[in-house]
Amino acid sequence: MEMVDEREEEAKPEVVLVARKGGFGLPTACPVCLPVYCHLRFANVDFKLEFDRANPDSGTCIFAASLPLLPLLLALTLMFIYPCSDHIPYVEYGDYVTFNNEKGGVIECLNEDNVVKLDSQLSKDCFPDWASTKVMISTWLAEAVQYELWVSCDNTIADDIYFSDLPWPIGKILHWKQTQAVKQLHGITKLNAAEKEEEIYRKANIAYEALSMKLGSQVFFFEGRPTSVDSLFLGHAVFVLHVLPETSVLRSSLSKHANLLRFVQDFKIQLLEDSYSSATGPAFSSDASSSSIPRRKGSKQNAKPKPKEKRERTEEEKAFRRRAKYFIAAQVVSIVIYLSILGGMGDSGLEDGDEDGLAYEE
Amino acid sequence: MAIPSDSEAGPNPKPVEELGTESATNDEHRGEDEDEIEEEEEGDDEEEAEEDETPAAQRENINRLFRRLSGGPVRLRVQDIIIRGNTKTKDALIEAEVLDAFRSACSMQELIQAAGLANTRLRQLDIFDSVSITLDSGPSELPGTANVVIDVVEARNPLTGEFGAYSKPEARSWSLEGSLKLKNLFGYGDIWDASGAYGFGQTSEISAGVSLPRFKAISTPLTTRVSLLSQDWLKFSSYKERLLGLSVGLISTGNHDLAYNLTWRNLSDPSHMSSKTIRRQLGHSLLSSLKYTYRIDHRDSDLRPTRGYAFLSTSQFGGLGPDSRILRFIRQEFDVRGAFPLGFYNAAVNFGVAAGAIMPWGKGFMNSTSLSPERFYMGGHSSPICSLGGPTSLLGFKLRGVGPTDERRAILTKHGEDVATTPSGRIASPGGDAIGGNLAVTTFADLSFDLPLKLFRESGVHGHMFLNTGNLVDLTLAEFKNFSFRGFLETFRSSAGFGIIFPTRFFRMEINYCYILKQLQHDHGKTGIQFSFSTP
Repeated sequence: MEMVDEREEEAKPEVVLVARKGGFGLPTACPVCLPVYCHLRFANVDFKLEFDRANPDSGTCIFAASLPLLPLLLALTLMFIYPCSDHIPYVEYGDYVTFNNEKGGVIECLNEDNVVKLDSQLSKDCFPDWASTKVMISTWLAEAVQYELWVSCDNTIADDIYFSDLPWPIGKILHWKQTQAVKQLHGITKLNAAEKEEEIYRKANIAYEALSMKLGSQVFFFEGRPTSVDSLFLGHAVFVLHVLPETSVLRSSLSKHANLLRFVQDFKIQLLEDSYSSATGPAFSSDASSSSIPRRKGSKQNAKPKPKEKRERTEEEKAFRRRAKYFIAAQVVSIVIYLSILGGMGDSGLEDGDEDGLAYEE
Repeated sequence: MAIPSDSEAGPNPKPVEELGTESATNDEHRGEDEDEIEEEEEGDDEEEAEEDETPAAQRENINRLFRRLSGGPVRLRVQDIIIRGNTKTKDALIEAEVLDAFRSACSMQELIQAAGLANTRLRQLDIFDSVSITLDSGPSELPGTANVVIDVVEARNPLTGEFGAYSKPEARSWSLEGSLKLKNLFGYGDIWDASGAYGFGQTSEISAGVSLPRFKAISTPLTTRVSLLSQDWLKFSSYKERLLGLSVGLISTGNHDLAYNLTWRNLSDPSHMSSKTIRRQLGHSLLSSLKYTYRIDHRDSDLRPTRGYAFLSTSQFGGLGPDSRILRFIRQEFDVRGAFPLGFYNAAVNFGVAAGAIMPWGKGFMNSTSLSPERFYMGGHSSPICSLGGPTSLLGFKLRGVGPTDERRAILTKHGEDVATTPSGRIASPGGDAIGGNLAVTTFADLSFDLPLKLFRESGVHGHMFLNTGNLVDLTLAEFKNFSFRGFLETFRSSAGFGIIFPTRFFRMEINYCYILKQLQHDHGKTGIQFSFSTP
């Protein structure tokens, strides 16, 4: 309580979104970070955007079983040294932090912790549809973007987004690693590359059609208000239309659906343009989209039972380990005392001095 | 291989600089100079005597020779160096090791000294099982000359292995290490080694390297090493460090050491509990640096110095390369030690001062700060007496238990549980991360003395009393303008205590009682009994 009172007396901590750097006319050019950015803008959260330039991994781990020997050794080495971790993007609010590789992602954490409540109070009728739509965007469309970015397109786009701020050799190796990881993830080999590509684009086309039918002439996908589905799709679509090249198959598929393009154009101007001021607020009902970051004092927030359970168990383990350490230390000390009293003092200092005197003294 | 003399016009297949300039003119000296003298190494018994001499006559000859040698210089120079026994090792390597020693010798006494020095240098190559140097008489037509015969026995088994437990400043803890060495694979004195180390809970390393005693025009040893290193700092600073590095030792003599390091480093936080400062530093970075170390140690002992002094200066310049994204920093450390005896109970006073600073360079360096892994940390139980490694030791404080910290990630309360009902009445926060400092200073004073018991004195077990102080701050160059020396002094931490030291052949164990005289809010100092293990 004392800490919170002190905080209230100080300036209120700001919300910070740490994402990968911008480019291609977008505040952040990363397809994983864009939905989170859109989500916070939909929720009318006043936040600061900071960039992380040293973590290009995108969460896919490499299973190098099918690689030839030398790349296999290199891949295993890289796996050992650099395990996959994709905590970017993450949101900070004072000491509160939510990472992208926890509990389903930043948007899920913000919803569960009631920090951003765009998905709260969804009706029971639309919840199944909403959930399946969300899964479709998070899997089929996300995989299609991943495929185009790392496999289909040339290297320049991924280099600009992820590796331009890393030293050249690191960027090249990590790019190769990530490309291999994506291929592994999709099961792409030289033999089935065309088949896999066709499957990926087929799913993407189905997803676009379904989304177009769902959106219709509405402003938002569900209940006339923004939800995480809108954030996810807007982030995906903005990336496809503005980052992927004009020859992109995904881009041409999306362009066939006029209402989806309208959706993107409308909110891109409102949310992503530099001239947009967050103080004016979006032109939509904000009853359920209360975006206030709750104060810690008096807030009933969701539990994180795992850390506390771990803490309780760890204290017992700590006490046990402490006693075990003391016991082992006492045994070692007694042995050393016994040996040193019987063995006498070592004369390594004199020997070293003699050898040094003969060796290279000039 | 023949070394031509001045007066000889004979052919020499390899042009080599001449050894010696004058020949003896005294017939008596010439006769005595033609006597053979041997040097025995490693149990070889080589006594050459004339066939008709009795043992008594031999002894008389040797005694006469020693009297002659002690009477004054006996003019003699080396005519030829003959190398035998090297089937794989290149002649050029052996010659390069011994040529300097024999070149300047122009008397029998100097030759004997040179032979001893040459023998030591050859043994230090670590590729021979035995080395024997014999001084033989030169050709009869060249008076005043001698031939040097070098007999080597190459290592029968070039593959050796070691396994043990070590304590190293680099590992910051005890570790199990094993290594394999392959000696003299190509005959250039090259030693190839592969090693692995596992530190309990913190460090693991795999490395491979090669060392050459000399490489072309470079007469000092050259080493190259590739290593994979993983260090776990989750408990102290909420990050894990993984490094893939290439290091090249360019110069390595007794006092000077120059090495180049190229390292790919990744910082990660699998616990997701790191503070903001550490979070901002997670990710990949490339380190390309040159490190120069100058070290002198004239103390009489590493384990219990009682007189002498030592000095260490380490300078590291990072950012070598055209890429501006490589880590750029300058790091400097000094460490000065001294010891003097008190003259009773074998007592001696050791004292020392160590300081270090690190700063970034390049664009925006005034307001930026260096990464945590490059910074200074203080604490741990290593003795400041043994290790000459900069401002790191502060007895009584835990590892990384001194210096700037940053709050770790907050843990939210349970759903439905009011903040007022939690034990502390606040949002739980699991401590802070040690983030290190860019300016560090430590000092110590230690009084060691023998204990009354004879048993302890004979074993080298002795007692000591000590006083430690140190400070670690984090300043950017812009903040340095407002630096207050008085404020810096006022924030010095200190500890004092006494204990017993058990020195063994390989390490030094201390059982100390430490009392924390002063610590700041986030420090981790603890008064009580502590154990310390140190290696010199």
